[in-house]
Amino acid sequence: MKLLKNNKFQRFLHTFLSLMLAFCLVAVSLFTLLKCTIFSQSYLGEVLNNSDYYVDLCDEIKADLIDIGNASGLNKKFFDNFVDEVMVREDIQSYLDLFYSGQKPTVDTKNFERSLRSAIEKYEVNQGIDPKNVSEENIVYFINESAKIYSNNIKITYFNAIQRDFLRWSKKILIYDLIFAAVGIGLVFVIFFTNKWKHKAIRYIYYSTAATGLFLIVIPIGVFFSNIISKIAILTRSLNDLYISCLNNIFLNISVIAVIFLIISAVLIVIHNHLRKKST
Amino acid sequence: MSKNKKRLGITKFIYVPIIFCVIMYLSVLAIFSADLTDIVSIGSMFLSDKQVDYSTAYENIFVPTNINSDTVNAEDVEYPSINKQFGELKINNRDVSAKLFFGDGTIPLNNGVGVYAGSFIPGYGKTILVAGHNNTYFNGLKNVKTGDIVTVNTSYGNYEYEITGTKIAGKNDKSAYDLSAEEENLVMYTCYPFDELGLTELRYFVYAKKTSGPEIVGLYE
Repeated sequence: MKLLKNNKFQRFLHTFLSLMLAFCLVAVSLFTLLKCTIFSQSYLGEVLNNSDYYVDLCDEIKADLIDIGNASGLNKKFFDNFVDEVMVREDIQSYLDLFYSGQKPTVDTKNFERSLRSAIEKYEVNQGIDPKNVSEENIVYFINESAKIYSNNIKITYFNAIQRDFLRWSKKILIYDLIFAAVGIGLVFVIFFTNKWKHKAIRYIYYSTAATGLFLIVIPIGVFFSNIISKIAILTRSLNDLYISCLNNIFLNISVIAVIFLIISAVLIVIHNHLRKKST
Repeated sequence: MSKNKKRLGITKFIYVPIIFCVIMYLSVLAIFSADLTDIVSIGSMFLSDKQVDYSTAYENIFVPTNINSDTVNAEDVEYPSINKQFGELKINNRDVSAKLFFGDGTIPLNNGVGVYAGSFIPGYGKTILVAGHNNTYFNGLKNVKTGDIVTVNTSYGNYEYEITGTKIAGKNDKSAYDLSAEEENLVMYTCYPFDELGLTELRYFVYAKKTSGPEIVGLYE
């Protein structure tokens, strides 16, 4: 009791509590951000729609199909307008649905195989090729190999490998977020109600929000000055653009959160000064 | 004294959050120090020294030359990296004329013919295994005859190979070529039958032995 009344100890305790509050605020900010970005299917869908992912992906699928077509008696023109962006979008959506629902993410290539089969039949008619002279075995082999190429392109690289850990963390993050939020609210109450002078309580809360703002703003500034994002190199242009869009978006969001905390801190200084003047 | 106290009170608003921020970063570093090496090495797997160019356009290091010496120093030879054009391959009167790439992936085979990266480039006295599509640059292989001359031009010398035979083999038949051969030989292959609709399991191999061209020396100095 005596110890609690000791001014130095009280100052130390409140400073320590505001440091803990800063930790909680950083954790809540980052966990909420992750939950709303990487771990959110709708966020990924938005990034996919807003980037050139589908256009780039269609070009890449077409280039791979032209390659296999050159080994199969089919010229470049055969694949003009063959890769349908709508079909690609639908198949990626189904793939992501399976991924986020915890089922094994696979690609259903039936539609692709069907449209490839009918395009070949049309080609045979246009070129005057007698179907009797065409080996069904070779056609099936070509369609199967093309379907594999299509499927491998639709699957988002690294997603299959990380699915289990991804879903486990997705659940954990929500729990951690709630725990840190509850502890943070508790600390605010403790700081506020154990301080006789409210302006002092506000000052301790200011320390936390300002430290959180500084902590968060250092991350995007560091990333920006190190120019690390432009050095990212992932398999293909479409994937690279997708991952870079996601990262840019996340760092932009971190900056926004940091600025919000710094604005809150400025407001808290004003409140602090106002309450201090009142108390004297 | 009171002025100093007041100044100290104001500066608290600046240095306390900074100290907090440093403490938090040090704490994060301490918590993840054990995993830091793993995190850095995994991260570096996705980083490149320079910005990656994803365009399908390829780099061309081939500059035609008229040098006709018997040898060329290894240090004067720029060994091509994957997807680079480093020469051209021709079989006169057989409708085969293509850019020669290193590697046999999508970019080389859509723009010419490619040397399998597990084999050798001309001049090393070993096997040169070249792939091409039967619908495009290697369609003319169906017309080749024993004794035909294959010309391979590179920036470090011009080579000629005489066709010694052909063979049809399965796509996984590794006995169709010998990558450990100690004599320079050129093996060109493509899908078979020619002009067939659909993908086939067979490959058409054309074999040729070196008749002229500079030998690359000074490899092990």
